[in-house]
Amino acid sequence: MTSALKLSTGLWLAVVTAAMFLWVPAHEGLGNVGRIVIVHVPTGWLTSVAFLVSAIYSALYLRRGRAVDDAKALAAAELGLIFSVLATVTGAIFARVVWGTFWNWDPRETAIAVLMLIYAAYFALRSSIEDVTRQRRLGAIYALLAFITVPFLIFVIPRITDSTLHPNCAILNTPNCEGLTLAEGGRVIGQVSDFRLELKAVEQVGSITVTTVEVRNPDGTFATLRPSFDSATGRPVAIERVPDSLRELQIKQLSGAPGSQTIELALANVGNVGLLTESRTLITFFASLLGFSALFVWLWSLRAGLLSMHEELQAVG
Amino acid sequence: MRSDKPASPALWTAAWAVARKDVRIELRTRYALNAMVLFAVTTAVMVSFRLGPLGVSRDARAVSTLAVLLWVAIFFAAMNGLSRTFVREEETRTVALLRLSTPPLAVYLGKLLVNLGLLALLETLVTLLFVALMNVRIAQPGLFALTLSVGGFGLAGATTIIAAVVAKADGRNALFTILAFPLLLPLLIIAVEVTEIALAGTGWSNALGGLRVLAAYALAQTVASLLLFELTWES
Repeated sequence: MTSALKLSTGLWLAVVTAAMFLWVPAHEGLGNVGRIVIVHVPTGWLTSVAFLVSAIYSALYLRRGRAVDDAKALAAAELGLIFSVLATVTGAIFARVVWGTFWNWDPRETAIAVLMLIYAAYFALRSSIEDVTRQRRLGAIYALLAFITVPFLIFVIPRITDSTLHPNCAILNTPNCEGLTLAEGGRVIGQVSDFRLELKAVEQVGSITVTTVEVRNPDGTFATLRPSFDSATGRPVAIERVPDSLRELQIKQLSGAPGSQTIELALANVGNVGLLTESRTLITFFASLLGFSALFVWLWSLRAGLLSMHEELQAVG
Repeated sequence: MRSDKPASPALWTAAWAVARKDVRIELRTRYALNAMVLFAVTTAVMVSFRLGPLGVSRDARAVSTLAVLLWVAIFFAAMNGLSRTFVREEETRTVALLRLSTPPLAVYLGKLLVNLGLLALLETLVTLLFVALMNVRIAQPGLFALTLSVGGFGLAGATTIIAAVVAKADGRNALFTILAFPLLLPLLIIAVEVTEIALAGTGWSNALGGLRVLAAYALAQTVASLLLFELTWES
């Protein structure tokens, strides 16, 4: 039974890996690096699942005092650490290619960094205690204490801090948010990284300023975009996606009277790149999720069994 | 005595007794006070060598830098000073007596009270040092005080239970910061942000969300500590 599960998990993941490179089409904006989502997201999710499992079995251990529960909690934590490393490394590769930096303290990066710190502290605590019962009990207590900080990380921080990888250029000036200033009747052409922007027209509709900007892509194609800005609220209204790229054009700031306005334009990286909207990518993604979950369950039961066996052997001799 | 109202007046009396005992011991040795005050002074002086004019700087990052430095000083000074509350009981072998004579909850509450008091002193000192040495201008003193109070509550809640866990570990003090940091990181991130708002004076409405999270965090951490302390204390 277990060996059948083991074999089919291995085969399944091999097929998923092959599909990831051969069957899934390259993402139209991201290219080949988009494939990494098939490994990155399931491992990221399983990191959280492992943490949850570890906390549940820690609570059960404190309640019932059975060594098996502690073995399960410890095994889940160990797997959580492995999966969190996988998720972080694949995420860092993706971030390097798409956003130009390995690490950026994006809310999700912050969350997983804290999760890894918690795991590390948990193992450090356990290894510092010699008495086995005390080791288990304090480990479980720490796991539960750490567990209550997680909702704050996952649900709260992304809403409070300004996400740096999904920049709102009105708030942040990051390397992901490059801009230039053009003016009516002044400089109307400028270059932002590999894009050339030309201000064609400016219209005023009430408090809203609508600009017409011609964008020349690095590959030589042209597109006309109409980003707009509401000077009453001081925020951009229409943020326009530059075709065939992962950039969005928005007005960051406006100054001057209508007719001679100075317009600060910003090109920011797109936050939601719509990776999973393609059907073959989606199917492979769910297959991968299933495969990694099976891998998790198998490794978890294996490791928990080993820990219990170790305990029994020690008890015997 | 009054059997219909069990434990609760007795609990607070016992907690108060534990707190008074700890304050008396603290005043005798001044271990935590010395550690925290000296750490705070050292940090503030060291930072002010080069960053003294930051408080009057027009640099956009100045406020963030000051908020981060303020919390760095508070966090590490607290880590230095508050780690020994339970370790001392183990070292002087007073644990067994305390366990026999006092309900666990009273021990936790007493220690929490002392830690809250120490943190209030520390935060006042760090603020004064930063105002004096770094020329910090606090645009919204009310919001600033509230942020430090709520943040300090969360900090005290978490450090008290971690101190209890660490006292039972064989490594003792060495693990304290390692264990506390991941638990406190969400608190610190949000506290720094709200402090930034208070220093820059961008208004209560911007700070409200952050303050609510700080309060929720402090509450969640304290409730969890109350539930888990007895198990820690008795292991």
